[in-house]
Parts: sequence; structure tokens; C-alpha cells
Amino acid sequence: MAHPFMFEPVIFITEIAFTIISAVLCFMIFSKTKESYNLTKHDGIKYFRDAFLLFGLSYILRFILELIFLSGETFEFIIPREMFAPLFILGVGYVSTLGLWYLIFSSIWKRFSKKSLMITGHATAIILSVASFFLHSHLIILYAQFILLIIGVILIFRTGTKTKKISQTKILYMLTSFLWLINLFIIDKQGPPRIFGMWGLWIKIFFQIVSIVVFFVIYNKISHWLK
Amino acid sequence: MNKKRDRLAVIYDILDIIRNHHNSMKLTPLLRSANLSSNSFSDYYTELISKELVKEIVDSDGHKYVTLTDKGFKYLEKYKLISGFIEEFEL
Repeated sequence: MAHPFMFEPVIFITEIAFTIISAVLCFMIFSKTKESYNLTKHDGIKYFRDAFLLFGLSYILRFILELIFLSGETFEFIIPREMFAPLFILGVGYVSTLGLWYLIFSSIWKRFSKKSLMITGHATAIILSVASFFLHSHLIILYAQFILLIIGVILIFRTGTKTKKISQTKILYMLTSFLWLINLFIIDKQGPPRIFGMWGLWIKIFFQIVSIVVFFVIYNKISHWLK
Repeated sequence: MNKKRDRLAVIYDILDIIRNHHNSMKLTPLLRSANLSSNSFSDYYTELISKELVKEIVDSDGHKYVTLTDKGFKYLEKYKLISGFIEEFEL
């Protein structure tokens, strides 16, 4: 079936730039912490760096998923959505859920056994991704991860550290997780670009810039210690 | 040494003791200086060997000594920065 050519370069360029910058920053965080992990085998460092590796992968998968959603509407070509979308929803669901868990685990790992953390993380990620795969909806991931984020915040504040005050690091963790959910929401058809029209695009770009700033701040803080 | 030391600090202290003894030390004086129970020391020592932070050398008289590896020296060099990172990120 022929589709009219409606290429929207602003959407495509901002998306690809955002994905590349976010993924590269995540992988740089992963790489920057390699030596300290190799020297210490510290579980907290392991969860922390793995979380960013998984976030980097999540942002790449999210981009591909958005391409699938946009194809046929925005581009000349059509990626068979029915065939590929559920597969990428499965991937995004598993990788990002595990990424969120690992970020939570990096703060609370001392209070729980390694085995229980692994079972919780992987089981939740599998259940969530399989459910979203069969329901053909990435919004299932979004809702479930929102609940996960609330659980994570409670866990971090109740069991994470002795101090209950909100540190800059805790804020960065929460922002990283929250912005992931926002960025997952805005690829949806019902997301800001469709609700707010042209303003939606700017809202989307705003959150993408904030996400990049958060990743950059984290990378910068790490670089301060791990030169 | 502090009474309450975390795992990374204990490892640092053991490696530091070896370094301060011209990077060559017998096990018994190391155990005494490390201020750990023998069981606990044994666990840490196994960990240090398995992580290749230290290695054992035997001299011509058959005496066994412990010495730091390059990785062990690197650990000593980076410890304070890594501890700072762990503390800052609440890991």
C-alpha cells in the first residue's frame, strides 16, 4: 500500500541525536567504572555500572521501537509493525526493567542476599516483558515500571543508607528512572506530540535535554573520582 | 586500624602492611599485623590470592612470602578515589 511521504526531519534528527548522546553517556559511565569494579569486585559498583549499561541498551531499543511506530506515518517505508513491535517491546521491557532494578539494587544490596535480588530482578523483568509482548503494548511496561519506581524509592529510603535525607545522588537516581518513564511515554501515539500538537514536540525535546543533562552530571561526578 | 572496617578497607590495610614491609612478608607476621581473627584473615587471604592482588613466592630456602602484584599496587593507588566514589554514590 502506498503511503504519502511525510518525513519529519525535526522529529527524526532530535530522536537520533538524543538516542546517540544518551546511549554513549550510559556506556561511558559503564566504561569509566570498569577499573574500580575489576579491582574491588564491589557488588554496589557492579549493580550501578550494569544499570547504566542496561539503560544505554534500553534507549537504543526504545529508538528502534519508535522507528517502528513512526514508520508508515512519518516515513515512506513501512516496518511490519505487527511483526517487529512486540519483539522490541519484549526487549525494551526486559532490559529497562532490569536496569531500573539494578539502579535500586546498587543502593540496597547490602541488606538482601544476592540470590534474592537476582530472582526478584529477572523474574519481574521476564513477567513484565512477556505480558507486554502478548498484549502488544509498551504502556504495560510504563505502568508497571512506575509502580517499580515507587517501590524503589521506598526501598532506597527505608533500607538504603543510614541517612534519611534526600541526597543529590538519590535525586539523580530518581531522575534517571523517572526520565526513562517519561521518554518511554513520549514515543506513544497518545504521548505529548499527539496531545499537545507542536508544543508536544517541544515538551519532548525539553525532557530529552533534561535526560542528557542528568546523564552528563552523573558522568561528571564519576569522572571527579575515577579519573 | 579502625575497629569497624568495611571489606575494601580491610583489603587496603592488608595490602598496605605488605607494601610497608618492602613488599615481602611472611604469613604469620602479616596475620598479626592485620588485626583479624585467623578465620577472617584466611577468608581475606584467599580472596586476595583469587583476585590476584597478592601472590606467594618461595625463596631458595623454601620460605613462603607474600608480595603485592601490579594489581595490588593499583588497588592501593586507587583505593581512596574508589572509596570516595562508593560513598558519593551511596553504593
